[in-house]
Amino acid sequence: MKNYDTLLNDLIPRKFGKRGTIWTVFLILIIVVGLIAYIDQVNKGQVVTNMRDYALWGIYISNFVFFVATSFVGSVTVAVLRLTNNDWRTPIVRIAEIISLAAIVMAGITIMIDMARPDRLLHLFIYARLQSPITWDVIIVPTSIVLSFLLLYFPLLPDLAILKKYHQKSKPNFSKWYGKLALNWTGSKIQKSIQTKSIKIIALMIIPVGILLQTIDAWLFSTTYRVGWDSTNMGAYFISGAFVAGVGALVTLMYIIRKVRKLEDYITEFHFDKLGKYLALACLTYLYFNVNEYLIPIFTAPVQEDIHLNTLISGEYAPLFWFAQIVGLILPLIILIFKKGRKPLSMFIVGLMVVVGSWWKRYIIVTPTLLHPFLPIEGVPESWHHYFPSMHEWLITAATLAMALLIITVLVRYLPVIPIQRTFDEQELLKTKKTTES
Amino acid sequence: MKKNQLNFRFVILAIISVFLFFASFQHIYAQGAKKNNVRLKANYVKIMNNEVYFDLKAGSRIDKKNVDIANIELLISNEFYDEEIKLGSVTTNMNGECRFVIKDINTLKPDSTNTFNIVVSFKGNDKFKRASKSISFKDAQIKAELITKDSINYIRAKLLDTSKDSLISDTPLTVQVQRLFQPLYIGEEFYLTDENGIIIVPIEEGIPGVNGILTFEVVLNDNEYYGTVKAIVIAPIGTLIEDESTFDERKMWSPRNKTPLFLLIFPNLLILGMWGLIVYLIINLFKISKSKI
Repeated sequence: MKNYDTLLNDLIPRKFGKRGTIWTVFLILIIVVGLIAYIDQVNKGQVVTNMRDYALWGIYISNFVFFVATSFVGSVTVAVLRLTNNDWRTPIVRIAEIISLAAIVMAGITIMIDMARPDRLLHLFIYARLQSPITWDVIIVPTSIVLSFLLLYFPLLPDLAILKKYHQKSKPNFSKWYGKLALNWTGSKIQKSIQTKSIKIIALMIIPVGILLQTIDAWLFSTTYRVGWDSTNMGAYFISGAFVAGVGALVTLMYIIRKVRKLEDYITEFHFDKLGKYLALACLTYLYFNVNEYLIPIFTAPVQEDIHLNTLISGEYAPLFWFAQIVGLILPLIILIFKKGRKPLSMFIVGLMVVVGSWWKRYIIVTPTLLHPFLPIEGVPESWHHYFPSMHEWLITAATLAMALLIITVLVRYLPVIPIQRTFDEQELLKTKKTTES
Repeated sequence: MKKNQLNFRFVILAIISVFLFFASFQHIYAQGAKKNNVRLKANYVKIMNNEVYFDLKAGSRIDKKNVDIANIELLISNEFYDEEIKLGSVTTNMNGECRFVIKDINTLKPDSTNTFNIVVSFKGNDKFKRASKSISFKDAQIKAELITKDSINYIRAKLLDTSKDSLISDTPLTVQVQRLFQPLYIGEEFYLTDENGIIIVPIEEGIPGVNGILTFEVVLNDNEYYGTVKAIVIAPIGTLIEDESTFDERKMWSPRNKTPLFLLIFPNLLILGMWGLIVYLIINLFKISKSKI
C-alpha cells in the first residue's frame, strides 16, 4: 500500500532518457523516409508499387487490416473487463486505450495511402453507395476513431487535473495545457456522475462498434466472390483474429512500459498471468476458426480453391503461412498453457510472436487470393502473376507502423499510463475495507 | 570582381552551348530515325433513313508484327474532279480504329458517273510515313418491309441504284436479326436479288425478342460498287420474352439512387444512433467543463 505522494511520483509521466530520445528520433526518421516515398507515390502514381491488375490489394491493405485488428484491444480489454467487473484491469486499461486509438487512427491513414488519388477522399462520402462494404468501412472507421478517443479521454480527466496541479510550480506551461485538457475538473459530484455515466455509455458502445468494425473489415473480403474469401466464417474469423492481435500488442507494450517506467509494483505478474490466460483463450478461439477456414475447404474445395490451398500449405506462400500459424498461434498457445509461460518475460516474447504472426497472417489473407482468380490470368506480363511489395510500399508501410508507435510513445510520454486517481481510489477503498474488517 | 563576372559569362555561354549542341544532335537523330509505313483501311456504310459513315482503321507492320496505330489524326475529303473538299478529321482509338459520320449523303458531291470518291489521308509524324486511301462508291438503296401471306411472315426487300433509279439484280443480300453479340442469320447465308432486284425471305416462327419485338436487318455487304448498305425493319412478331433485367429495381448491385430501402433505413438508423450518442458524449464534456462545483 503506497501513500498518495509515492504513488503520484511513480505514475506521473516522465521526461525521456537517452534511450527514449534515440527511440523517438529513430521513429521520426522512418516516418520522414516513408513520407518522401509517399510524396513520390502521389506524384508518379501507384505504378511505383507492385500492385497491378490482379494483385490490386497489397501490403497497404494487409497493414490496414492489421491496424483494424489491433484496435480491437480497446473493446476486448477495457469494455469487456469493465462490464464483467474485473477490477484487476486498472493498470492495463489506459495502455489498451492508447494502443486502440493509435491503431485505428493509423488504419484510417493507411487506407488513404492505398487510394491512388487522396485528393478524391471526399468522393467516398459524396458518391457513397450504402450497398458497398467500402462505404460501411468509410463510416465505421471515423466512428471508431472518435469513440476510441472518447474512451481514452473521459477516464483521463481526473488525472489531467492531477497533472495540472503537480506541474503548477515546476512547469507552468505544462500545467496550463493539462488544465485546459482537464476541462475544469474538480472531482465534484456532478462531474463524477456525468463522467461515470459517459464511460458506461462508451463501454457499452465500443463493443458493438468494435465488432462492427471487424465484421465490416471481414465483409470487405467475403462479399467479393473469390477463393479463400468466399466464406460465411469470415466475420467471426476476423473478430477472433483481432482478439489475438489486440491482446498480443497489449502484453508486448505492457512489458516494455513496465520495464522502462519501473512499474513492477503496479503491473504485476498477476496481471500478466491473467492476460496470459485471456490471450490463450483468444488463441484457442482463433485456432478453432482457422481449422474451419482451412480444413473444411480441403475436403470440399473446387479446383481453384484447391490450387489456392496448395499454394498456402505447400507452395509459394507455405513459409509465411506456417510461420503465421505456428509462430503466431500454435506456439504461443502451448507456451501460455504453462504458468511459467505467463511470466512477464515469456509473455513479452509470446506477445511479439503473436503480433508479428498477426501482421503476416493478414498478408496471407489478402495477397494469395488475389493471385488466384476464378478465370485464368491471361494477357498480362509474367511479373503480374506474382506480388511482392516494392521498396516504396515497404518504406511507406514501415512509416505507418512507426507512426503508430510514435503516437503511442508521445501519449506514454505525456499521459499517465496507469490511471492515478483510480489507483489511489482503489487503494483507499481497500484500506477502508481492511479497517472495517478488523 | 571583373574576373568573377568573366567566369559567370563563361559558365552561361558553356551551358547554352552544351544545350544547343544536344538539341541539334536530337534533331539530327529524329531526322535519321526510320519511319514505318501506315496501312489504312476504309469501309463505307449506309444505314437506310439514317446516317452514313466510314469505318477507318490504321495499322502498320513493325518488326514482323501487325500493330494498330492509336491516336493519329485521319483527314477525310471528298474528291470532286480536281478539287478536294475537306469533310473533317477523326482520331484513331487504342485499336487504331475510328468512325467518321456524315449525317446526310447529299452533302457529298459525285463525279459525272455518279460515283463518290473519298480520300482518307494521314499526313505523317515522327514515327510513321504519310499515307492515304481512296474509296469509291455509288449510292444504293434497300427498301425493306415485312409482309404476311397465309399467316407466314416474310421480309421483302428491293435493291436499287439511286443515281440511275434502276433495280440491281443478281446481287447477294443477307437477312438477319439483331442480337447482343452477333446477328442471327435468317434462312440462307445470302439471297440473290431477282430481275426486279427483289428478295422475299420467309421468317421462321418462334424467334424470341424482348417484348416480342424483332429488329431485322437486310444487308448488302461490302459490295464492290455500293459498299455496305443496311435497311432496318422493326416488327412485333417475335416470341415474347420477359425482360428479367433488374436495372430499374432497388438491388444490392444498383447505383446509389436505387439503394434497397432496408439498406437505407437500418444502417442510417444505426449511424444516427451511434453518432447521436457520440454527440451526447461530447456535450457531456462541455457539461463537465461548466460544472466545477
